[in-house]
Amino acid sequence: MSAWLHLFTLELAVVAIALLVLLWDAFAPAAGRAVGWTTALLLGGVFAASFFVDGRGTVPHGVFVRDEWVVFHERLFLAAGILGVLGSIDWLATRTPKRQAEYYALLLFSLAGMMLLAGARDWILLVTCFELMSMPLYVLCAYGKQDGPASEPKLAAEAGLKLFITGAASSGLTLFGLALVVGMTGTTHVGGIGANPAPLTIVGMLFVLAGFGFKVGAVPFHMWVPDTYQGAPTPFVAFLSVAPKAAGLATLAIVLLGGWSADSSVWLPVLLVLAGASMVVGNLFALPQTDARRLLGFSGVAQIGYALLALGAMSRGGLAMTLFFVATYVFTNLGVFFVLHAAAEEGGGHSLARIAGLSRRSPWLGGALLVFLLSLAGIPFVAGFWAKLFVFMEAWNAGLVGLVVLGVALAVIGLYYYLTVARSTYMADGDRTTPVPTGFALRAAILVCLIFVVGLGLWPRPLVEAADRAAAGIVSGR
Amino acid sequence: MVESYLPVLILFVMVVAFAFANMALSELGGRKRKNVGKGEPYECGMEPEGNARLRLSIHFYLVAVLFILFDVESVFLVLWAVGARSFAETGVGVFVFAEIAAFVGLLALALAYVWRKGGLEWDR
Repeated sequence: MSAWLHLFTLELAVVAIALLVLLWDAFAPAAGRAVGWTTALLLGGVFAASFFVDGRGTVPHGVFVRDEWVVFHERLFLAAGILGVLGSIDWLATRTPKRQAEYYALLLFSLAGMMLLAGARDWILLVTCFELMSMPLYVLCAYGKQDGPASEPKLAAEAGLKLFITGAASSGLTLFGLALVVGMTGTTHVGGIGANPAPLTIVGMLFVLAGFGFKVGAVPFHMWVPDTYQGAPTPFVAFLSVAPKAAGLATLAIVLLGGWSADSSVWLPVLLVLAGASMVVGNLFALPQTDARRLLGFSGVAQIGYALLALGAMSRGGLAMTLFFVATYVFTNLGVFFVLHAAAEEGGGHSLARIAGLSRRSPWLGGALLVFLLSLAGIPFVAGFWAKLFVFMEAWNAGLVGLVVLGVALAVIGLYYYLTVARSTYMADGDRTTPVPTGFALRAAILVCLIFVVGLGLWPRPLVEAADRAAAGIVSGR
Repeated sequence: MVESYLPVLILFVMVVAFAFANMALSELGGRKRKNVGKGEPYECGMEPEGNARLRLSIHFYLVAVLFILFDVESVFLVLWAVGARSFAETGVGVFVFAEIAAFVGLLALALAYVWRKGGLEWDR
């Protein structure tokens, strides 16, 4: 019928799974873990299919382009989605056994939005996908709305409200900016930004950048990050902290390096200021935190700073290393949050004192947490080391010497607070000594993250090459 | 280039100045008489009774959202209906019909879900 519908095979499959889950829940409600496992296995099937479904091409009018860039992102988002589902199965089955399907369906809708986002080359499709990605996240954030700690039972509702309000405001900024940009350039194609380099176009683009800055949580648009991470359900925060960030960075790359590369003298200073500020604020504000999730929130802000730095190198290599950095960050941060979730479920909170003695109670969990933290800090030879090294090398080659020196200095500070978390699990004594109970699904998710983090640390080449091929879809040449 | 936006800037300054000037003038030169009526939320109409923070049933929002859903559906259907003949003439009629059928089908599934979940029952 049409020569391009097959380009959306994987995205349609994800939506179909979401509908299946919803209708299953409506017409034949199943308690227990059946819905979650089915979702995870079907998503695994879609992930496997992504290696066989080989459609490449362009939708009429260049609205959507499926190339290596999209394929890379689809697999990354699917992997994050599978792990996000796996990590949530036990929590959902015990806490809200009667309404699990909505959680998975919303997560899948968000996933479909992200997968489409990577290929969108038209403002209308881009913004629609961004909203499709964001709106389920607002709901999911407040999912365990009565499930907070005893002192603040409605913490999750607060987190959801904060994410919703900042998200709505940032969407408003983006749309306002786009009204100016589309009005000035007369085209909705992303590649048309440079058509009319009038001041009003640039003002509009700065609004758009601010809107996207909110979504990725770059300083000075980062205020929601720690609050939301602290309040929302931990298995969901694991997903929230990686997949939407990767999608936001992909959008920035599409818009800046793809559509607006001609006027890089305008946006590069802005991007570099965002990168530097995120690194400084994220790392320094993480230092005094006593809640593990707030700490990881600020660490996430800092990590976004590193990713933006590589984006600022404005080369194919720099973009490839952004992708590599984000991919390793996905597995590392998912792993950290899953271990924290396991430890905090029984400990009754996410403060560092509550997870004390974790390694004596469950040596495997403690060891996994240590590996993930070392990867976040960038210690050889786990995945995060290569990620940071490559990012700094690309930025150095692009002449961003000052920011690289700043980044390396701040990475040392990062090492301190990451190891503070590790110290409380290894050195401090907790008030309990029994092993931490973890469900099978959560253990499986942590194990997969661990395999990827260690595996990519020992053998990063396949992912680096895949990232390089993907980056060629946005930045041609070297 | 930038200079061409000077009139916009002048207009902006004038608008802000006008607003502030009016507020300042009424504050400085106006007569101030305070009485009970001026402290009320409305100076005319019905007298407010009770607390404004009463809880409304979630059903109002559910029904409103469902209404918007099917409202938008009808708008899209009209667009398709208006263009259906020209679609058929240009040879994409079947494809566009399949698209609109998929759209309606999705919304039918959504309706089935809401119905089954009890979203249409008022007293639940």
